[in-house]
Parts: sequence; C-alpha cells; structure tokens
Amino acid sequence: MTQPVSNCPNCGAKITFQWSSSVQTVCTYCKSILVRTDVDLKKVGQVADLPPDSSPIQLNTEGIYHNKAFVVAGRILYQYEQGGWNEWHIVMNDGASAWLSDAQDEYAISFPVPGQTLPAAPQVQVGQQYTWNKQTYTVTVITEAHYNGVEGELPFQYWDKTNVIFVDLRSPTGKFATLDYSDEQPALYLGEFVEFDDLKLKNLRQFEGWS
Amino acid sequence: MFNQLYLIYGFLVLGSVAMSQYRGWSMDTMNEVKNVPRSIRDNPGAYRSIYSSYHHYTGGK
Amino acid sequence: MSAGTPPLPNPPAKPQVKALHCPQCGASITLRSFQQAVTVVCESCHCILDAKDPTLKILQQFQAATGELLPLIPLGTRGKLRGTDYEVIGFQRRSIESDGVRYDWHEYLLFNPYKGFRYLSEYQGHWNDITVCKDLPVVRTGLVPSANYLGEIYRHFQTADATTGYVIGEFPWQVRVGERAAVTDYVRPPRLLSCEQSSGESTWSVGEYTYPQEIWKAFNLPGKPPEPIGVFENQPAPATVSVKQVWAAFLALTIFLLGLMAFNDMVASKEPVFTSAYQLNPGTPKGEASFVTDVFELKGRTSNVEIKTSANVSNSWIYLNYALISQDTGRAWDFGREVSYYSGYDSDGSWSEGSRHDTVIVPSVPPGHYYLRIEPEADARHPLISYTVAVRRDVPVFKFYGYALLALFLPVLYVTFKSISFERARWSESDHPILQSESD
Repeated sequence: MTQPVSNCPNCGAKITFQWSSSVQTVCTYCKSILVRTDVDLKKVGQVADLPPDSSPIQLNTEGIYHNKAFVVAGRILYQYEQGGWNEWHIVMNDGASAWLSDAQDEYAISFPVPGQTLPAAPQVQVGQQYTWNKQTYTVTVITEAHYNGVEGELPFQYWDKTNVIFVDLRSPTGKFATLDYSDEQPALYLGEFVEFDDLKLKNLRQFEGWS
Repeated sequence: MFNQLYLIYGFLVLGSVAMSQYRGWSMDTMNEVKNVPRSIRDNPGAYRSIYSSYHHYTGGK
Repeated sequence: MSAGTPPLPNPPAKPQVKALHCPQCGASITLRSFQQAVTVVCESCHCILDAKDPTLKILQQFQAATGELLPLIPLGTRGKLRGTDYEVIGFQRRSIESDGVRYDWHEYLLFNPYKGFRYLSEYQGHWNDITVCKDLPVVRTGLVPSANYLGEIYRHFQTADATTGYVIGEFPWQVRVGERAAVTDYVRPPRLLSCEQSSGESTWSVGEYTYPQEIWKAFNLPGKPPEPIGVFENQPAPATVSVKQVWAAFLALTIFLLGLMAFNDMVASKEPVFTSAYQLNPGTPKGEASFVTDVFELKGRTSNVEIKTSANVSNSWIYLNYALISQDTGRAWDFGREVSYYSGYDSDGSWSEGSRHDTVIVPSVPPGHYYLRIEPEADARHPLISYTVAVRRDVPVFKFYGYALLALFLPVLYVTFKSISFERARWSESDHPILQSESD
C-alpha cells in the first residue's frame, strides 16, 4: 500500500513501483520500461512523502482493554502541518466512551476526565509537568491541528475547520494524557500506551501483501 | 570462553608450582657430573670443575 | 461553526504511467538490465533515445536527484526483524557538525501495517534497531548527566544539532531537507537512548546495536555488508571476554596460590643435614687446596637441597666452588657461589652493596649418602675470612610462587588493557572523552 500500484499502459497487467516516489519500473509481463509522470520531481530528495492512511483499525474492529471488550464506533482524522493521526471512538461493553489514538501506529487508550484544573493553551510548554489523579505527566508534544474528516458515530456533532491546539503528555510508566483545546473549555483525557498485540483486535483492515 | 581457558591455564600454573616444590626443581646454574670416583675423598685436588676459578676465562684461544 | 460532518479525504489517486517508446519505430522499449541506465537504446531499430524525450527526461531528473546517495537497503525491500516483516519505505541522511567536521549517518524507516514503524540507523557500518519509547525516561543532570529508562541507567554520550540533508520515500511526518533537531544520546551498551527536540516536540527513542550480518540476513541483501569502522557509542564490548569474571578468576587462583604456599611451608621438612664452619687464612694463594666435608645422609624422597654460605666479609669477597657428590652413585652437582659485601660513606650517606649470605638450591637430589667438596678462593690481599656452610633439604622455593603470580597476572593485564582501549575508543567520539589527547 505504500508501493503505488497501477496498470501497464501497454498490456494492462498490474504493475507496482518499489516505493512512494519511485519513477520507474518494469512490467513483469511485457517487459516495457514504465515511467511515472505524476511525481513532483522537485520534491524528490528534498521532502518526504506522507504515507497514505495506514491504520489497520477500521469501523467495527473489536478489541479488549483491561478485560473489557470494546468496539470501534467512529473515527476522527486529524491533520497538522507535517502529518496526521487517527482518533478512534471506542465504546466499552459497559457503555463508556473512550478514545483509541493511533499515531504512526503507536496506540494509546484514554478516557475523558472532567473536573481537573487545566492550564490555558498559551501557558503550556514542552517539558512542563502536571499532576492529575496522583500521576505526574510531562508535556512532550504541542501540535496545532484541524479535523480532516470523520466517519461513524461520535460523541459530538459540530465541526470547526480551524486549527486547534493539542498537547500530548507522557509519564515514565507509559501513561499518556491529552489536553484538547478545541472547545472554549479545555478537555483532559487520561490513559496509557498499549501494545497492538495486547488489544487482541479482531476484524482489522486487510492490507494486500501483508498477513 | 576466555574465562574457561584462563582458569584451565591458571590451574596448570598452580600444578606446575606444586610439582616444582614436590620434585625440588631449581633454576640455579649448575653442572651435573656423573661417575665421580670414590678416590676424590682422599684426593680432593684431583677433581676438575668448570667452576674451579672465580671469573675464569671461557673464551677461545 | 459549520454543521455537517466533513467526509474522510479521498484515497490517493492512481499513479499516472507512461511507457517509454522508441521515437523512430514506435516500439516500446524493453531492457534486460536497467539499474542505472539513463541512456536507452531501442532494441528493434537500435536508435538511441533522444535525451529530450519528456519521458526519458523524467528518468534523468530523478537520477540526478537521487543518484549520489543510494541507500544500502533499497526502498521497497522487505525483511524480517524480530519475527516481524517490515518494508523499507523511507530513507534520510542526517548530519551533525563537531569541531568543523560533518558526520553523516543514515536512517531507514521500516513499516508494518499492524506493528507500526521502526527505524534502522547506520553510521560507518554500525547499525541500530530503533523504536519510539512509550515510557518516558527520567533525566538526571549533573557532571555526567544520565537517563533512567525502565530501571536502567544510561550515561550521557553526546548532544548535538542534527540536520536533514537528503530524504526520499515516506516518513510519518513530512521530513524536509534542512529540518533541524537537537539530539541527545545516552548509552548503556548495547542500547542507546536518544532524545530529539525541536520546537513543540520532544521524542525519546531506544535503539539496540545490531551487527551488520544480521541486517543483511534479515533483508536478504546481496554481497557483504560494509565493515564497521571504529567503536560506536553503544557497541557492546567483544562478547568473548568479561573483564570482571577474569579478575574474579584471578583472585580465586591467587587465593589458591597463597593456600598452596602456606601448605607447602607447613609440609616441607626443611631438614638441616649438615653445618660446619671454616676459615680462609689471609695470604693464602688463590685457590687454596680444596677439601671434602664429612659424609651426611639425605633421607626421604627426592627433593631439593639448600646450601647456605655465610661469610663475615667486609669490602671483600670469597668464592667457593662447590660439588655435592653422592658417595653411593658417583653423581655430582657442580657449581660456584660468591659471597661479597661492600659498604661505606659518601655524600649521600652510607651505602652498602652485596650480602654476607648466599643461598643456592640444588635440584631433585635423590636420597642417599653425600659429601661436599669445597674449593675456596678470595682476593690476594684478603684478611682472615670465617665462613659457615649450612645444608638443608626439602625447602620451599618462594621464587616460584612469585613467577606463578606473574604468570597468572599477565593475561588479566592484557585483557584489562584491551578492554580499556575499547572503551577509550568508544568515548573518544563523545562529549566526555576518557583521556584528553593533546594532538586534537
């Protein structure tokens, strides 16, 4: 899927290019040299390509977290200046709503935690520490991002296309927190990083060429 | 691997030392002579030795 | 606020592809081997493709942009690392500058749709297998800063600014040439902790040193991997030797040696078998008549025989030609010993040279009846010299224990020296070199 696929203009057979900006390949059937004409050659060597949407999770994927089953009900695709990530809306079997964030295939599950003292957006800086629910977190990433698309069921309805601030925090014990400044009142989500294998996910998206 | 070889070597060294003490080895320079006749007890001057003279000349003619 | 949910972005469009055609005969170009071919010849009519052919121009421009630096693992290659299949989808060259010298290294992005991303970094033939940390390391500042990750302490190795000089393929964020990040490395061989900081972001990753042969095997690469140069920051010390273990072995062996020495001292009989006192009269010509001692008996097993000569010389010498002769077998041990002692005063105080005693060990003397033949000699103008000859058998020879200790110590010294050289080489590239050399 990161190897672009097309059809040979001569014989129609399926052809693949070795990598995202590779401009030449050979048709395995008719042996013609094939050249890609839509690669921006000014960017080759200068700027990386963004991988296409590569999350293995899809709507109705099921999994287990802390011995409770959940199902993926919705998704928000975020985009920032240099890339993007997914937030999957999951519903636990007791009805609770949570978020499975999927950034570069690093997975974290977090739950909304209301009623905490939260800093205002301009105050937050990388390296600062905050304590909520007796756990200390350090700010690691501050991103300005906007919604790039949604699907499925989500706990809120209105969308604003302007950029908002998201703050990621981590702890030495693998805990994870997010500050979401999309509304007037900032929202806090607390959770932890999870390994793909521990989620025991079923009904995943299939990728051609990968088992 | 090296450690095992070193231990084997070490015990060989210890064994050699034990052997040297038991068998009475020495590194002092000496000359072993055979068949010294009993008559030397009566005539010690007749015994010839390469060590007979202090700083004796050992070069050729 | 706008109502209505924005749809997901469209999947990427199919790539546009053209085939290379011969302008002369229109046949589509086929090639047998084409890796670096930028000039192309038509197989049907043998005309060379015009360099201005727009499709060919694409190939040439691409070659110009990418030809100088070819990744050792070509993009699109698949390999199996730690039991998971990965595909190489991105490559970048980054560099730091230290003392005016630019150091380049390369990073490969590996991708598996379920397991996510990994990085392989390569510097002068040294490879590292890197993933992003989920647990945040805790940094301790100080003279030598350190970082604690999953309970293990990593020592600070280097802090430098890294710049991207070249990038092809895909990266999960859009890497651009010129992108800078402050990189701080902490090491605990074979692992490496790296903190990358740029505005608005701080990311930690952990790397594990990987031998080039493993990489070549994992990705089925042809030929042999390039030889690593020098010692890399988290390169493990050669596995065959553990310096700590060797010192522990040395200590154990030394204890055994000391035990053996004590046992030897206890068990050796040190039996006196003959003692006698003599005088060398003054004025006797060089080489006074030789004489023989009374016969004495050596009992017990074959052992050494110690002959101690003591003489009251002062600023003179006495030389004795000894022969230990077996009355039973006629076998003899023949040797000469000197006893000399000099002393005096000079501008630095009193001094002395030599000794009034001499000890010699005769080796492996079988039991039996023996006597000594003694031939004394002294300086022509010597005074009266009194001397004693004392014979003992089965004495411990402590000199051998000294040699044994040295023999045990030399390999340890060698191994320790090699290890220190290795570590010195490792840290020579860091912010904390072990010994500052004047030549830099």
